[in-house]
Amino acid sequence: MLMKGHDHWHEHPRMIGKRFRGGAGSALGLALLVAGPAHALESAPFTSPQTSVTLVSEAAAVAPGEPFRLGLRQKISPGWHTYWSNPGDAGEPPALTFDLPADASAGELQFPAPERIEYGPLVNFGYENEVVFPVTVTPPADLRPGQSFTVRTDAFWLVCKDICIPEETSFTLALPVEPTGRSDAATAPLFAAAEASLPRPSVWLAEAGFEGDRGVLRLSGELLSPDAVTKAFFFPAEWGVIENAAPQELRVGQGELSLDLVRAKGELPERLSGVIAVTDAAGSRSAYALEAPLGPVPPAASSIGSTGLPLWQAVLFAALGGLLLNLMPCVFPILAMKAVGIVALAGRADRTIRLHALSYVAGVVLSFLALAGVLLLLKGAGMAAGWGFQFTSPLFVAAMAWLMLAVGLNLSGVYALGGPVSAGSGLAAKGGHAGSFFTGALAVLVATPCTAPFMAAATGAAFAMPPAATLAVFAALGLGMGAPYALLAFLPRLARLLPRPGLWMERLKQALAFPMYGAAGWLAWVLTVQAGADGLLLALAGALLVAFAAWALGIAQAAGRRGAWAGRGAAALAMLVALALLPQLRAAEAPRTVTVAAAAAEPWSEARVTELRRQGRPVFVNLTAAWCITCKVNERVALDTAATQEAFAAAGVATLVGDWTNGDPAIGALLQRHGREGVPLYLLYPAGSGEPVVLPQILTQSIVLQALEPVARTAAQVPAPSKG
Amino acid sequence: MIHSITRRATLLAAVAITTLPLLPRMAMAGPTVGEPAPDFLLPDQDGAMHRLQDYRGKLVVLEWTNHECPYVRKHYGSGNMQSLQALAADKGVVWLSVASSPEGEQGHVTGPEAKELTEARGARPEAVLLDPLSQAARAYQATTTPEMFVIGRDGTLLYMGGIDSIRSTRPADIERALPYLRNALLAAVEGRPVEPSVTRPYGCAVKYAPAA
Repeated sequence: MLMKGHDHWHEHPRMIGKRFRGGAGSALGLALLVAGPAHALESAPFTSPQTSVTLVSEAAAVAPGEPFRLGLRQKISPGWHTYWSNPGDAGEPPALTFDLPADASAGELQFPAPERIEYGPLVNFGYENEVVFPVTVTPPADLRPGQSFTVRTDAFWLVCKDICIPEETSFTLALPVEPTGRSDAATAPLFAAAEASLPRPSVWLAEAGFEGDRGVLRLSGELLSPDAVTKAFFFPAEWGVIENAAPQELRVGQGELSLDLVRAKGELPERLSGVIAVTDAAGSRSAYALEAPLGPVPPAASSIGSTGLPLWQAVLFAALGGLLLNLMPCVFPILAMKAVGIVALAGRADRTIRLHALSYVAGVVLSFLALAGVLLLLKGAGMAAGWGFQFTSPLFVAAMAWLMLAVGLNLSGVYALGGPVSAGSGLAAKGGHAGSFFTGALAVLVATPCTAPFMAAATGAAFAMPPAATLAVFAALGLGMGAPYALLAFLPRLARLLPRPGLWMERLKQALAFPMYGAAGWLAWVLTVQAGADGLLLALAGALLVAFAAWALGIAQAAGRRGAWAGRGAAALAMLVALALLPQLRAAEAPRTVTVAAAAAEPWSEARVTELRRQGRPVFVNLTAAWCITCKVNERVALDTAATQEAFAAAGVATLVGDWTNGDPAIGALLQRHGREGVPLYLLYPAGSGEPVVLPQILTQSIVLQALEPVARTAAQVPAPSKG
Repeated sequence: MIHSITRRATLLAAVAITTLPLLPRMAMAGPTVGEPAPDFLLPDQDGAMHRLQDYRGKLVVLEWTNHECPYVRKHYGSGNMQSLQALAADKGVVWLSVASSPEGEQGHVTGPEAKELTEARGARPEAVLLDPLSQAARAYQATTTPEMFVIGRDGTLLYMGGIDSIRSTRPADIERALPYLRNALLAAVEGRPVEPSVTRPYGCAVKYAPAA
């Protein structure tokens, strides 16, 4: 109402701004004299061909001394943009200058996460379409209900396309004063969306460093994985630290990500601060504010993100990496076994040597292919499995520790197994070529955790390729790892260079038992991290049984026919008991993982929603997936918090979780019904009937609690759920 | 978790291998304070050619400009730019205004237009250099108008950045701002070290011609 007739403002924006302000002041003064200010939630708009801007209030009525939120709301014409707090290469952020009574105050303007806006070789950080900048205002404490609280502010913003236009105006908003503040349904969604667009505090450990004009920003912690992060961009809070236009090479591993940064010409601060915007596999974008202390350049994350390698390069790197794997500590114990095997081959026929070497290589290659195949299948089923996935199971780790122990005991001579070439245990100790084959397979199983960081580029590229190419890369990895032994196959005479078998061989064999014990110890340590002290206890008890079985077996082997049965029986019994311990280990792994709203979460189904609502309970539906980073962060910061859980319990809200990790047609249909392509989706159903409230994709605790308020009133007087 | 265990053991090899295929791109060679300023060869408003080398032995100020940009208008409209140009002229410093907007973009000027603007605004640059292919802008990685550079008598870059410290279009802010360029210019004239030597430039984005 106050802002008409300034269509020519953009000719001389400053002049108009000044004139306008004067006009507004006197017009307002007049209005106060005559009738008192008219109350409204949103100011009259400032309009131009580029923008339509208002000052909007979350509160329909304010309470004395009680902070409430205002928002600078910009609707921006197509092609134009406004700016973030760090505008990038050019531009200027918006600013509000409040004119408030002495005992009222206004906080800082808050900036939603920006977009990257390219302009020629320059890059700006800002907003297109629509944006709301929230700001908290505290009215004077001595206001009295029935009075009016009038907020006046000068506003400035720059709006640019190829050209830039500064726009300037004053906004006035008069709000009624009531004993308690009151929000309004009309503007609540606007502020919920605005809050959701603000960067949230990062939940990760951040490190950064520069050397010359290159640098790396590295985040580590839970929730980060190649599926959870498909795109990322770091918006620096300050000018001059990094080149805005430089591409930021993304690498994502399990639990870590890194971005390559290029240094700009300004001074280096003590900490690199800014906002990282992350897009997950479902295409959902979320932003986190972070501060990374600057130190030495942190290592890049151990996998690749956006950049793929061409197939031939991936194959080449895989082969090279495979070759180098032979030097990795993970494989070392297995190599020890293999070394003994080779030594035992000395002096044998060329053909025998060749066949053993080839069996070993075949074991390596086929195991790599099998692992890659299983992984492809898991991924095809939508599971978030990564390379080295078998090591994420404490069962596997414990079994491997015991196997290492058993092999070590064999090498120490506690018991014997197999035929002349025997050097291993179990399958790997089978005499002939099967023995060599399984030694190769064992080497691969144990080597995979080493391959993950080591073969990052190749394996990362491999899984982005069609399955046939993926398998080719892993075959190359296997061939590379088996190469030294393949050499034996082609040049069997090499084996002749080895000394003749003798006592030295026995001593070597015994000495090589120690790397095996070492490996078992390392695996036990891995287990403590995965399954805690209880897990370790189980693993050690199992180790005791394995050692006992080996000893009993050794006695049985030394004894003639008569004692053999008793010894073998005792060994078998001990092994059975050890195996019986394994399932217990699974139980021990549980406490470390944080489950969604563990207190009251049930699996989602349409029928269960209806049933619960009929019982008079509001229902909160959380559709999530293991690979959805937005979901996980929401759960951590907004849902699994004590305050939210308490509020849910108080209102008798039942939580149902729909897990979309592996896809599910019923969940897919629910998503579609709400116009979503993927998770997260949060629905809050009132008790009884009525449409659910759809919460934003990015949650904060206050968004959840506010959404809960009206819904809580629908709850029947039922006692809070006490199930456990 | 497994990664963190094995990473320790394989760190060196891992870094070597993973970075191998991603060999660092050469950094964009931009202007650096203390290093020789990039040379250029540009025509002025009368068609005379200017080369940075031609001014060895003299201090040079480069001013990136776009006369329609509100931030440039702040400094010309208030007379601030003209007084800085006059100060430079008094001290024997060469002031070159550079217009890098390509044809059809805001801020593009022809020779006659440049002369007319200089006249109308009472400006005193030694010359207005026409850079419609944005070659000099690329060499200096100019980002905003205005953006200022001060180059020493030996061709070394002494200062790059903003004209002053307050990022705004309000002429009233000029008085309150730290006059970065003025300070840099006086320091260079008196042979004192320039401090600060790199500041944030502010203004409209430089309009670049599409890369050739």
